[in-house]
Amino acid sequence: MNISRSGIIGLGLAILLFAILPAVSGGQWSKIFTSTACFTLATAGITFMYSRLGLVSLGQVALMGIGGWVMLRMNHAFEFPFEINLAVAAAVTTVFGWILALPALRMRGLYLALITLMAAGGVEIILSTYRFPNGGDGFWGVTSSVSAPFRRPELAQSDTAYLRYVIAITTLGFLLIEAHRRLAPGRAWAMIRRSEAAAYSSGINVLYYKAWAFGLSGLLAGVAGGLLAGTLGLLDPSTFRASESIMLFALAVVGGARFWLGAVIAGVLYRVLPALFNDWGLNADLTLVIFGAALLHAITTAPDGLAGQIINLFRREVKSS
Amino acid sequence: MKSHFFSLLFYVLAMSVLCVLIAWGKPFQVVGMFVVSGMAVGSLYALGGIGLVVLYRATGVLNFASGAIGAFAVMLAWQLGQWGVPAVMTWLAAMPAAIALSLTYGRLIAPGLAWREPVVKAIATLGFALIILGMTAFIWDDDVRKFSLPSDKQAVMVMGLRVTVTRLIVILAAIILVIGIWLYLGKTRMGLQMRALANDRNLSALIGVRILKAETIAWAIAGVIAGFTGLMFGDLIRLEPVVITFLVIPSIAAAICGRLDNLVQVLLGGLTMGVIESLLTLQPTLKDIRPIAPFVIAALALLWMQRGKQLLFARDN
Repeated sequence: MNISRSGIIGLGLAILLFAILPAVSGGQWSKIFTSTACFTLATAGITFMYSRLGLVSLGQVALMGIGGWVMLRMNHAFEFPFEINLAVAAAVTTVFGWILALPALRMRGLYLALITLMAAGGVEIILSTYRFPNGGDGFWGVTSSVSAPFRRPELAQSDTAYLRYVIAITTLGFLLIEAHRRLAPGRAWAMIRRSEAAAYSSGINVLYYKAWAFGLSGLLAGVAGGLLAGTLGLLDPSTFRASESIMLFALAVVGGARFWLGAVIAGVLYRVLPALFNDWGLNADLTLVIFGAALLHAITTAPDGLAGQIINLFRREVKSS
Repeated sequence: MKSHFFSLLFYVLAMSVLCVLIAWGKPFQVVGMFVVSGMAVGSLYALGGIGLVVLYRATGVLNFASGAIGAFAVMLAWQLGQWGVPAVMTWLAAMPAAIALSLTYGRLIAPGLAWREPVVKAIATLGFALIILGMTAFIWDDDVRKFSLPSDKQAVMVMGLRVTVTRLIVILAAIILVIGIWLYLGKTRMGLQMRALANDRNLSALIGVRILKAETIAWAIAGVIAGFTGLMFGDLIRLEPVVITFLVIPSIAAAICGRLDNLVQVLLGGLTMGVIESLLTLQPTLKDIRPIAPFVIAALALLWMQRGKQLLFARDN
């Protein structure tokens, strides 16, 4: 198998983070890094759709919310282990991804982006009305008293072990995307992106592979949402507003959709930067200004985002030396 | 054209039936009250949507920043009011601020992106929205504030219902704007040039349409509408920068009802969204999720409008 240099660096970084990050970050920071990893995984779903198929999905965080909801619902309703709950959450969001794929057969570009935004707006309202299950009775399972315990995976009971667990799964998510890129779906997507008509006439089932992409993106969002639920054992509806979905897409563009590094940068900007601002006593609203300026910068002058600029920098150095 | 008209008729009928179904068996006074407040909210959605559509038609930019511009305008007006500036002056100050913000983007950043895909242009405005929102939220920290217009206290009686003048202004403003912009685009030379621009940018440039001038005017109009919508939203619903900024999402829902093109449909879409959202308060089971109405209506309208379309060989639009 052929592993590119960027792939080696990526795997190396994953191993490094897996080994070092949980050891050096304690208390609150291990939770922040865990949620960073979750959002990185969800962003990976956005970036591959955008870079491979040119599809803009403004509903990724809403899908995460659905994944998290299913995860908590499963956790409080049954005695299954963590992994089975996670698989169910991923399966449900995959189906939701397919539902979003239905309009994609009739529209693309701006209209498709807008319909995913409408879906995100709808999910926001439903989640903020019915809230997340925390051990109560009934289908919605909400109780106002202290929430029931959340079962983390057998392997990862402590915060640091859970961070390792999430980093490992996020890495697997990236590998899953890479596998898709190298196999039949990736070739089909490349063709569809170039021209749907050409793809169709060369015998590619456009409908099938588009739906596949939406399903995969939904699956990643669902896993991310499920893992996020494990960080604190509960979720807050305000995490999954439609505006957050838009924000995460914006940061995916800032990070750079074509490279794995872009999703990592997006996750770090989304979760770590506001936390750092908090630590330094700066107003977290200022991160919005930075995000906005970075987004304008990325769109006007750096189509491959920060990741593209970083990678170009390295390439130039390799060439000149 | 004819099928278009029937689609519209069908939409209005379906929505009226829905309203009757929701409101069945409730006293007239109560229903009327909810319809009026729903129309006011719906006009706000429609106003936002009209601003978006006017700009989209002339420049091809779907402006996610319009909500943020409105939020800044109303916060500025509130602040000036706190400093004791006369009320009329504060509104007059808010408008140029909104126009200035809109033109800043329209002149400095938008021309550089003119040849990109519509999605990219829309996402770029999001960057501008984040900058404005960040600044606004930084200057005016989270706090409970109230912005009220003198017209809140005056009311007129319409069919036995008390309607505050502010609500009346919003509803009338939406209707007048639609007529005014329709006349402007249809009857003036600049309107003609804007329509040409919307149709084909390259060809318009070749036949001598002054693109930059037409676009500047469109951005200024969008700025005025955004500022006005922000003021009204701050008065009628809530004075909170984040909430007003993301009012742009239901505004987009209203704009979708008109396919980002037809102002009358945007107005109708916005109004029905507001009324249905408000009437759902009467239904105990659906009461809590009533803000979902704009999104459901917009999604259904979009799917309906795109029915039977074959995407495969269509151009990206």
